[in-house]
Amino acid sequence: MGGKIKAIWRKTSWAWSPESDRESSEAIVKNFWLHWFPAKVARASMDWNYSFWLGTASASLLLILTVTGVMLMFFYVPSTERAYGSIKDLQYAVSFGRILRNQHRWAAEGMVAVVYIHMARVFFTGAYRGDRAINWVVGVVLFLATLFLSFTGYLLPWDQLAFWAITVGTSIAKQAPFVGPTIQFLLLGGHEIGQQTLLRFYVLHVFFLPVFVWVLFAYHMWRVRKDGGLAAVERVRNARVMVPKATPKTKSYSLFGITPGTSVQVMSSTGLEESDQVFSSPNMSRRIALVFLVVFNLTLLAAILFNAPLEGLANPSVTPNPAKAPWYFVWLQELVASTTVRFGDFTVSGALLGGILLPGFLLGVLTLWPWLDRSPQRAEGRWLAPERKRQNATFAVATLAIIILIMVGVYLRGPYWRIYWPGQARPETPRLY
Amino acid sequence: MDRDRRKILRYIGKGSVLAAFLAQIGAAGRAFFPNVLYEPPSRFKLKKPDDYPDGYTLDEAHRLYVIRQKDAFHVISAICTHLGCNVQWRDTEFDCPCHGSRFRPDGTVISGPAPRPLDWFATTVSPDGYLDVDSASDVARNFRLVIGGKGKA
Repeated sequence: MGGKIKAIWRKTSWAWSPESDRESSEAIVKNFWLHWFPAKVARASMDWNYSFWLGTASASLLLILTVTGVMLMFFYVPSTERAYGSIKDLQYAVSFGRILRNQHRWAAEGMVAVVYIHMARVFFTGAYRGDRAINWVVGVVLFLATLFLSFTGYLLPWDQLAFWAITVGTSIAKQAPFVGPTIQFLLLGGHEIGQQTLLRFYVLHVFFLPVFVWVLFAYHMWRVRKDGGLAAVERVRNARVMVPKATPKTKSYSLFGITPGTSVQVMSSTGLEESDQVFSSPNMSRRIALVFLVVFNLTLLAAILFNAPLEGLANPSVTPNPAKAPWYFVWLQELVASTTVRFGDFTVSGALLGGILLPGFLLGVLTLWPWLDRSPQRAEGRWLAPERKRQNATFAVATLAIIILIMVGVYLRGPYWRIYWPGQARPETPRLY
Repeated sequence: MDRDRRKILRYIGKGSVLAAFLAQIGAAGRAFFPNVLYEPPSRFKLKKPDDYPDGYTLDEAHRLYVIRQKDAFHVISAICTHLGCNVQWRDTEFDCPCHGSRFRPDGTVISGPAPRPLDWFATTVSPDGYLDVDSASDVARNFRLVIGGKGKA
């Protein structure tokens, strides 16, 4: 009996501590669970301080969010009358419901941050050249999808944050040229926020967006393999390229006789050498497991220590004062609040300029960056290569500007969205909601 | 000749199957544009004119301000023209808590991102004596509903 179970286990699992090269490769090629990994990977891409394993951390967060999200679906009711109550129940009545919701919330906020930092890592290592440009674009779309998932997610508790975020968010969408009002009508399922609105955002959040992200994530992974692994491989490869020796003029035989010139010769080794590679099992599989466990435990710790925010029940009559977006959207709130421009009688609303045109421009530049980048190939796969000084400075300055806007929004904005310096008294405002 | 005819028939065959497929996608998409909306009407009754004191009174349910100056009434929308938050009357001006727009007592913009003044709604007195507001309208900034004789309304 015991032997039989062991045999089935061996057939369906793999050697966790392979004792031979054969066992290592069989863990990949003879096994369903790991078959999407290559049997061998470049040693350079296993470095902790090249990639910081941020992509793996993002994927871990996606997995945590999917599992906790599906569990939350057993408790949440997408109805304007019962949604808020079901969140309160999770927080106070369901055993460990608080942990479940908290972990979902902190993993979501973590994912926004980690996906962005992952993108920054790819940028600062110049890892989007050549064929990798496609994966860069896929990554930008994934980042955008992460933001949409986050947005649709915090609408579901149907608290004040949710209601006023939908109000402002769909009002921004309405400002889009030509199609704006139609998009708003479609998102709201009418002219006003109501049951249809909640249901639409719910289905987007629990089905369409997650499926979209998982499919695109799978493609993202597949492309990493097709592009030959992480760009760190290119650094190794560049170092291995042998400079061709100055060859003496030779004579070679062509169809019509002897022609002068140089003969064919091997100039470089194109692939990685045996010593540059390690087996994916256990070198990669163990690291992935470790990263997942660390990420899981960090989100769990956050879930135990801090409660996810929940404002009062949605109230169309009273706007919170000030009404602040979550930190990762506050910079956009700063933009829409300060980019209205007036030329005499002609006004361009900040909703269009700061809410659509400016973010759209930033997104466009970000997407097309691989084709705008003129840095030399030798800068690929290296952190902060001096050849890419200007590119890296541009990215850093843009990131810093966004961080400053976030800081201003989160810490300095008070009632009626005025600036209050630290220590400056803030006026009492009625809190009716 | 015969081959041409077959070719045409084949195109018609494939084309009609494809057309049916695309039409169904279109039909599924059309379902997301509701035909019936269970929304409150844009024209509604408020309280009787005499129920309002002098000055600015917020009607929370309808998100608007009823402004009374003796016998003259007008109604200004409390919905910010920037991104739809509720503005608050603060004795001398309207302020928005979302993005900091500021408006004069007549709803015109002092500063902030609001692209245009607050809406003024056409207001009448219904036959049974209530203020009757049409929130789909936008009237001129000198609009006043004057109600003659105290207590008559």
